Amino acid sequence: MADNLTVQEGQGAVPIAGPAKIFGACVAAALVPGLGHAALQKWDRALVFLGSIGLMFVLGLSLQGRLFDPDFSEFFAALKFLAEAGSGLLYWICWLGGMGAGMPTAYTYDYGNLFIYVAGLLNMLVVVDVFDIAMGRKR
Amino acid sequence: MKYHIFWLVVFSFLVSLVFTFLTKYGARERIRYFLYLFACFVFFSILAGWLMYPFPF
Repeated sequence: MADNLTVQEGQGAVPIAGPAKIFGACVAAALVPGLGHAALQKWDRALVFLGSIGLMFVLGLSLQGRLFDPDFSEFFAALKFLAEAGSGLLYWICWLGGMGAGMPTAYTYDYGNLFIYVAGLLNMLVVVDVFDIAMGRKR
Repeated sequence: MKYHIFWLVVFSFLVSLVFTFLTKYGARERIRYFLYLFACFVFFSILAGWLMYPFPF
């Protein structure tokens, strides 16, 4: 399939960058959605990921979603934190700024939380995508 | 905005967009896949809602 992003079997995956650039691109992607793709000059994907994931995170906060603290004493609280922290600097800046107190009585509280969780989880996928592109496994 | 369906559509739109750009290349293929994914998200969410409707909790 010509439209598939995955490099075809048998073609062999050749890294498009050195280890330092691969590591840097992955860290950039983990910190800011889309920045890793920008580092690899995949501009269309960089813009879409920054716009979509950033918007999901901001919508989540505006819908009274909660930013969960780094709390590893409870299993599910830890999972919620890890999912949200996947957004990178978006999470940490807002959390340190005291935003995301959350309002459980709000009509949109669950939607807000869902938007923030999914923004972080999608960004984790984006980091994996950056790694695959840098390793030459994807276009 | 208190309409569940509105936020469902917004959520489906954004997630479909990210999945499309993660997996497809080329404008034509992306548009087709995005529309398919978006329609599936919305349709199956509404279907799941209807199936859960008789549940007492």
